[in-house]
Amino acid sequence: MYEIIMGNVAVKIKDFVKTFGQTVAVDGLNLEIYEGEIFGLLGPNGSGKTTTLLTTATIYKPTSGDIYVHGYSVSRQGDIVRRYVGIAFQEPKALWIDNPYELLIWHARVVGYSSSEAKQVVRDVMEQLDLWEHRKKQFYQLSGGTRKKLEIAKVLIQRPKVAIFDEPTAQVDVLTKHKLWDVIRGLKAEGTTIIVATNDMFEAEKICERIGIIYKGRLRALGTISELKDMVPQGDVIEIAFDGPEEQVKKIISTFPEIGHFTIADHKARMFLNKGEEKAVSIVQALASSGIKVRKIMIQEPTLDDVFFYFTGARLREEHGAA
Amino acid sequence: MGLREDLNSFYMLVLWDLSQMKRRTVFVVMRISWFVLQVTIFGLAMNAMVRFRGIVAQGIDYYHFYLFGVYSSMLFSISVSKAYDVAEEFEEGMIEYLLSLPIKRKVLALGRSVGGGLAAFLFTVPMFLVIFVLLGSFEPLAMLISILAALVFSVGVTGFVISVVLSLKSSDTTDIFFGVLDALIIRLSTVFYPAVIIAKIAPYYYASLVNPVSHFVDLLRTLFFFEEFKTIAVADPYLMMAYLFGFAAGVASLAIYIVERRVEGGGWK
Repeated sequence: MYEIIMGNVAVKIKDFVKTFGQTVAVDGLNLEIYEGEIFGLLGPNGSGKTTTLLTTATIYKPTSGDIYVHGYSVSRQGDIVRRYVGIAFQEPKALWIDNPYELLIWHARVVGYSSSEAKQVVRDVMEQLDLWEHRKKQFYQLSGGTRKKLEIAKVLIQRPKVAIFDEPTAQVDVLTKHKLWDVIRGLKAEGTTIIVATNDMFEAEKICERIGIIYKGRLRALGTISELKDMVPQGDVIEIAFDGPEEQVKKIISTFPEIGHFTIADHKARMFLNKGEEKAVSIVQALASSGIKVRKIMIQEPTLDDVFFYFTGARLREEHGAA
Repeated sequence: MGLREDLNSFYMLVLWDLSQMKRRTVFVVMRISWFVLQVTIFGLAMNAMVRFRGIVAQGIDYYHFYLFGVYSSMLFSISVSKAYDVAEEFEEGMIEYLLSLPIKRKVLALGRSVGGGLAAFLFTVPMFLVIFVLLGSFEPLAMLISILAALVFSVGVTGFVISVVLSLKSSDTTDIFFGVLDALIIRLSTVFYPAVIIAKIAPYYYASLVNPVSHFVDLLRTLFFFEEFKTIAVADPYLMMAYLFGFAAGVASLAIYIVERRVEGGGWK
């Protein structure tokens, strides 16, 4: 598990609004991302994740509000902000220009390496990402995963203070996925602040320390993964198999107000509550002291899918009055 | 970002545009073929048809006038064609990549204008050399100034093109706009007809007077045949030179303004 240390703010998003014509992409987003953390931005397609990231990288301009990177305003000090930020786009960019090697050399020179340094750093990064053998290929010859790796290579070459990855492992195979996660963790270990936009819950659980769930341009939830899971009402499930009268068990369970609801059937009790791992002991003790023999206990916490659905899907139903 | 970083960024952007030249080989081969046809078959045929006596000094015929016109129109068209490259870059998300790089916006605008202009000029270097050979004129100072003028002109046109494309943000509108502009600007200039002749049609004449193509082409003519052409040029050579520099500086400033204030990724139609 990661240890979250609330350090200095690397990225501060303040009342950020971005519209495209009549479409409101981001609607008053407020968020702080701390130095050295891996922050995950989760949300369904069109929720405003990419717009937020592209604005942080100064590619879009805020309609109102602002984003600050290490205290510098994206709106007013974009030239300085770009020294701090590097981005790996969702769709690989500029790869048709030349072969991967030439493109990365150009990129390295632009971000400040000398000619000889550029050759060295490009080779190192390409070897790290298993790209060296593809260095002279043309864009159309590269697989989707290789193109993604090239996009990420640009960030590794740049070594920015704030690295943005927009769906870094979308459409890549499992092996590459794990490789890229390691690379992202490696960047964090060097002190880089990392922002990852993803739809992949497994990926978010694997690499992100804190997560913001964004939906329809607004932040719906923010916290560590365990905090978010605790936010889901009665998200934990405790299942206890027992020997003894079901009526008695029902009475004992009813004495726990924190249990939202429960079912008992076939000598199995299913209880829905929060912080299940903390409550399980006292429930088992109460049952045992009443002579009920507990045969098996299972605690299941909500998955990040459940969290995601709760903060996006559930609200979607509420907003449409169907829930 | 200090001056050194800015210069490095500028240099890399210029290299970027130069590296794109190989993508346009077919386009350039076609232009060169068209140029060869124009300076041989069409040029000579027109020279036989057009009476130039009484307009300029003896020994100079329409062919001398026409050669610079053809070259200027080629340089203008090739510089304008940068519009389609920029539009393509926008459509393919290339601009978003460039906007994300640690480069000042003004350096980005200048680098692309100069890089695009330089690339356009380099495409036309073989044509320029052919003209020198056809004219039999190898006056070093005239060649040097004409090359400099061609560079300034192509940088100016490219800066203008970038400004317009980034403002239009539409490939269809870009196609139509520059198709019409290419045709109009060349025609409303002294590329093929001297100012003294078109002076009979006032709107045509005044349009040609403010047209940078007129100033460029007439500057080339006076550089090589000063005495013969000075009386029919749109302005004094120094004024034409100043106009060209002003045009390049003006549109470069416009490109900087647009890139700094208005350009952002996405939204391409």
